[in-house]
Amino acid sequence: MFFSDEENSASKNFIITAVFWLVIGMTLGLTGAIEFTAPDISSGIPQLTFSRIRPAHVNTVAFGWLSMANIGIVLYVVPTLTKSKLFSNKIANFVCLVWNIVILAGGLCLVNGYSEGREYAEYPVPIDVMVLIGLLSLSFVVYMTAITRTVKKLYVSLWYMLGAFFWMPLVYFIGNRTFVRLDGLNDGIVNWFYGHNILGMWFTTLGVGIAYYMIPKLTGRPLWSHSLSMLGFWTIAFFYAPTGTHHILQSPVPEWLKALAVVFSVALVIPVITVLTNFFMTMKGNWWQLANNLPLRFVLTGALFYFITCIQGPFQATRSINWYLHFTQWVVGHAHVALLGTFTFFDFGAIYYILPRILKRQIYSFGLARAHYWFTFIGFLIFFASMTIGGLVQSAGWHAGIPVNIWGIEMVPYWILRAIGGFLMWFGNVLFLLNVIQTVRGVKPLDSPEEEPAMAPAKG
Amino acid sequence: MNKNYILPATVLLLSFSMIIFSTVLLPNMIFKPAPSEFAVKYNPTEAKGRNIYRREGCVYCHSQFVRPQDRDFGPLVMAGDYVYDTPNLLGTIRTGPDLSNEGGKHPDAWHKAHFKNPRTTTPGSVMPPFSYLKDDEVEALVAYVQSLGKKRIVKYQRIYHPDEMEKVLDKRKVNVDSSAAANAGRGIFQQNCATCHGTHGLGNGPNAIAISKKPANFSRPFFKDYDDVTWFWRITEGVPGTRMPQWGKLLTEEQRWYLVAFLKTLPRETEVYPKGYESLDPEKWVEQNMISAAELNSAKPAMIIETKGPPPGAGGGH
Repeated sequence: MFFSDEENSASKNFIITAVFWLVIGMTLGLTGAIEFTAPDISSGIPQLTFSRIRPAHVNTVAFGWLSMANIGIVLYVVPTLTKSKLFSNKIANFVCLVWNIVILAGGLCLVNGYSEGREYAEYPVPIDVMVLIGLLSLSFVVYMTAITRTVKKLYVSLWYMLGAFFWMPLVYFIGNRTFVRLDGLNDGIVNWFYGHNILGMWFTTLGVGIAYYMIPKLTGRPLWSHSLSMLGFWTIAFFYAPTGTHHILQSPVPEWLKALAVVFSVALVIPVITVLTNFFMTMKGNWWQLANNLPLRFVLTGALFYFITCIQGPFQATRSINWYLHFTQWVVGHAHVALLGTFTFFDFGAIYYILPRILKRQIYSFGLARAHYWFTFIGFLIFFASMTIGGLVQSAGWHAGIPVNIWGIEMVPYWILRAIGGFLMWFGNVLFLLNVIQTVRGVKPLDSPEEEPAMAPAKG
Repeated sequence: MNKNYILPATVLLLSFSMIIFSTVLLPNMIFKPAPSEFAVKYNPTEAKGRNIYRREGCVYCHSQFVRPQDRDFGPLVMAGDYVYDTPNLLGTIRTGPDLSNEGGKHPDAWHKAHFKNPRTTTPGSVMPPFSYLKDDEVEALVAYVQSLGKKRIVKYQRIYHPDEMEKVLDKRKVNVDSSAAANAGRGIFQQNCATCHGTHGLGNGPNAIAISKKPANFSRPFFKDYDDVTWFWRITEGVPGTRMPQWGKLLTEEQRWYLVAFLKTLPRETEVYPKGYESLDPEKWVEQNMISAAELNSAKPAMIIETKGPPPGAGGGH
């Protein structure tokens, strides 16, 4: 399976294994959430302790699920948009194999305590090297596909995807350069340059690129404005990368660096507004299509969450609001609305659309897919609300002078709500995994293709 | 390759190298703080403890920098404090307290019991038990935690009162550490202070409800840092901007010293120090006390009662 040269086989392998890692990553996350409500449940087993589960959860969903799903989608979208074949499915398939080993080995390392201790860069050195080699090979494949293309004009999705494959290997290299020893605060500055740009120059650019592909494709309407989409791309390219220091805004790092981070964070409103204007203007007059188009529903729900996360972001980065919200659970909610609410939902929509076209087979059950949507959506709303409100409550207590460890008791209802929301999402995604497995196995679909044309392969 | 894409590619390349230069290379070139008085050069045990701290992922709940608006976490950190901290353990969330000045706050035995089962020392904590750590690992971790902030919270003379206030000590005749003085102070407190500060000094006296700037709750850790002169100065001069009067005009100096003696005996809220913890054998801490986590958790701290509904006047003010 990992050594085939078939068309789209790499895309298929990436997407299917990503869904496995999604469920495993969510199981880890759910375990962590339950441990907050019953801290003695880990009962002295090191591998089950929350503080070891958390990096494993973050890295598994970020690198195992989101990165792999994004790559799988890119490997389908790039050849489609350039009307050429992928430069080499063999290389991409090999990277997929390596990447799976990376996630498995990396997860085991983190759970067993072999961690570098820098957030988002926890994987030990050998695994970093493997990730970097994988990223560079994929960049090579994607760029070679773009160079040998037959369509002259580059659609905006391609701009985003090619950009991401240029930025990410660099960002990853800088973030994991363990051979350069830096003093404490400098280490923190570089850590957060990386920690923020893995979101900004990788997940955001790929996610937005995917949404730019999916919305016109699913609605059958052309993109509202090409020039606006270009404005969005260039503003992301200029404004996103210098903002990392806003994660340590009140630590004693240089003031000019903080000012730079705040100014560029606020400027990020521009790309967000342009991107969302473009999405919603493309939808103008097409909202009725949501009724029988589940992938579109996923992508647009993602777009709504994108609005939330990207309005929160620039404000949170200002000093006066950071003053109140930093260190609270609000930030946990914010991080999840970006990675889970937005980019994961984009990927769900894209997978439901792409999988039937790669496999030339209809999705096994539309009912399961709808259940997946509602469980994930409602679960996520509960999760997001509990973390956001909990964060405000936390901060209110701290600023009334109540010590952190005492005020933590007030958070119990929010921990419980979070675990409930997490369980709903986890359950929805187990259904998703079942649906994908049945589709891949080629079980006879339960529904007629007219019901959800987007989730059935195109005729002819 | 189509020549139309040379310009965008160049712009992309240039802009990103500019960003890397300004936010990665430049800070490392020009930002080189000299080690401060409180930068800890870790000895082998502490370094080992730091590795365990990193391995166990303590950083995911405990931050290590104090912000200007934080209370209870001790003096503000400076850039020079972090020179030897590689990899950085700044942290981004405070599910648990900040640890920048943890060194010296609690005795070693407290930490050992805390790692074994956090709920024996801090009821209601959500910290996972680290009972699987080996003995030498616990020793190292305790050494590291005690090195944080170089015990400046203890060494640093936190001066809240004006310097000239120190001379009141010369003519002091009351032994503020004696229980006789504290008992004398109790009466004075109930007569003069309890209407606002409450009979237990929790800031919830009957008058508290009518005061917009709430009276202080003396069980807050903040007040545990007060020294005798600071207490005396606060009582004597009152607190500007609040209804706290200048007791120097109403009480004699001797009476005020009695009050200081009483105020020093008020317990710190919800910190559970099992009886005589200093004399305990740290190895047998848990067995000797036999306090189950469930038992402790069932005794809800006073805080909960205070914070439900509109506060009956439990203020956070100092």
